[in-house]
Amino acid sequence: MSTALGHREARRAEALESFRVRGMPHRRFEHWRYSDLRAVLDAGQVAQAGTAHWTIPALPEGVELFDLAAPNAPAWVLKAYGAIGNRPTMEEASLAFSEGGVALRIPAGKTIAEPIHLQIAGGGNLRWLVVVEEGASATIFEPHGNDVGLLRNVGVDVALSEGAALTHIRVTPFAPKSFAVEHIAVAVAARAQYRAHFANFGARLSRTELHITLGGEGAEAHLSGVTVLGNDGHADVTSHIEHVSGKTLSTQLFKHVAGGKSRAVYQGKITVREGANGSDSRQTARALLMSERAEADLKPELIIFADDVKCAHGATAGDLDPESLFYLRSRGIPEKEARRILINAFLQEAVETIASEELRAAIWHEVETALPRAMETAK
Amino acid sequence: MLEIKNLHANVGDKEILKGLTLTVETGKVHAIMGPNGSGKSTLSYVLAGREGYTVTAGSITYNGEDLLALKTEERAAKGIFLAMQYPVEIPGVTTMNFLKTALNAQRRARGESEYDAISILKLVRAKAKILQVNEEMLKRALNVGFSGGEKKRLEILQMSLFEPKLAVLDETDSGLDIDALKLVAEGVNALRSPERSMLVITHYQRLLDYIVPDRIHVLANGRMVAEGGKELAHELEATGYGDLGKVPA
Repeated sequence: MSTALGHREARRAEALESFRVRGMPHRRFEHWRYSDLRAVLDAGQVAQAGTAHWTIPALPEGVELFDLAAPNAPAWVLKAYGAIGNRPTMEEASLAFSEGGVALRIPAGKTIAEPIHLQIAGGGNLRWLVVVEEGASATIFEPHGNDVGLLRNVGVDVALSEGAALTHIRVTPFAPKSFAVEHIAVAVAARAQYRAHFANFGARLSRTELHITLGGEGAEAHLSGVTVLGNDGHADVTSHIEHVSGKTLSTQLFKHVAGGKSRAVYQGKITVREGANGSDSRQTARALLMSERAEADLKPELIIFADDVKCAHGATAGDLDPESLFYLRSRGIPEKEARRILINAFLQEAVETIASEELRAAIWHEVETALPRAMETAK
Repeated sequence: MLEIKNLHANVGDKEILKGLTLTVETGKVHAIMGPNGSGKSTLSYVLAGREGYTVTAGSITYNGEDLLALKTEERAAKGIFLAMQYPVEIPGVTTMNFLKTALNAQRRARGESEYDAISILKLVRAKAKILQVNEEMLKRALNVGFSGGEKKRLEILQMSLFEPKLAVLDETDSGLDIDALKLVAEGVNALRSPERSMLVITHYQRLLDYIVPDRIHVLANGRMVAEGGKELAHELEATGYGDLGKVPA
């Protein structure tokens, strides 16, 4: 590697080479089975997509920001930039082809109470990263605009130091003609906590991929999400959580509602590494299929190399419970309203994991907007 | 109030009701007794309009109207209430919200004004007291984690809130100990009125000691085989259902 190149340029050159060699992910790639991106998009289109935009309308006091379009990044940026993940090909593309992005730092011990709104708009590739230092905590709300264009490909690095806590709420809009890919790499140190919620409303192909390393004793990751799809919508949430250290905890709760000819995918892989004794992981994925042509692919996977580990997983897909529907209707509630009540109740468990009332309300608003789409194409 | 004539009904491909005829008079409490599998619950589901219970012949007239032409929710709005044997648990829907939504849906269908949150809360509280349904139960998810007695009390609370014209009580005594049974029966008796008919469906005579019917009908093998006054319950208790329902040669 040439010393003439800066650290970031060197990492981007590496990423470009890696993307060039491996190319677009397709159904023979591990974990891309249900989302064949190569079939609908080629590498040239990714390379020429340009850079998406980010905006933070109000930066709370105490948060440090570095614009990735600027030169001379400080050390805290360089340490995390493209350095957290396991380098899947679309993440490498977001490094190679984005000319900007944003980096945030929550200094040690700081508690940022007010959510940081990080809005993402426009098509193209984009990087963002957040470093939450020892004992610090913050919430990032990441709403994506619906002006996706052909492709939005976002790559994220999250570095949580000992005892740090980050809540991350991400909302992707209904974008029926677009491809929306996001890769989130998270490193969680001892006693640190990553809590995230992903609300998906479908694209022509939508993919949220997480790679989380619980790398210190007592590290925790809690993921939840809702997906509401109609028409030809597609949304894929694929997570890989690695329990590297002992006494680490991960929970996942994903709820999908799929109508029309839509397809909802959840793949959750848990790896408990040798020595990560006393770890605990739970994953639940449930899908409600609102039409006979809708599809849900729910695939929990466990790989365990340690002892004294608790791992539980469950996945179910089906229609609304006919007994519940009859019960509500027999009390005078019209069928459509009864269905709506039961769908809301189904999604609620996942939405309720969001602690902030403001953000919970924001998600419900999106869900309410999306539900008629899922229901109108129901059988 | 209700006239059922020669009713035949299937559950799936199997014929369960085979020519059932019954007249329920306004303001009267009719009991239907019968052995397991005689079609008691099927009758209650057919009256409420549950999917999967298909009427193949006969008619049901409710206040002069063809009941079978109405949807489940329309029947509820027109005053038919089914207290279920196994009330369904619905996580994610609080009991209080459910009561409000249901009552307002019925009122809306009848062209009546809807209750606001505060007046409905007052109404529910007043009715809940008699049935010993407490505030904490109203805040919980519908029937979730409720004991058998709590579920049945909530059914009767709904009945008192919706003020139906025809209440069908399907095995309301099942799973109740004697104290819970007395409490539920008291709630039901308080709702007896000259304008309200009740159809009390039960396997045992025990419930009818507390909710004393005007008429008793015996259902066996999908049709009515005997009818009498309240004393019939005790006769059946002594003799059993025995040969009732055997098709005469």
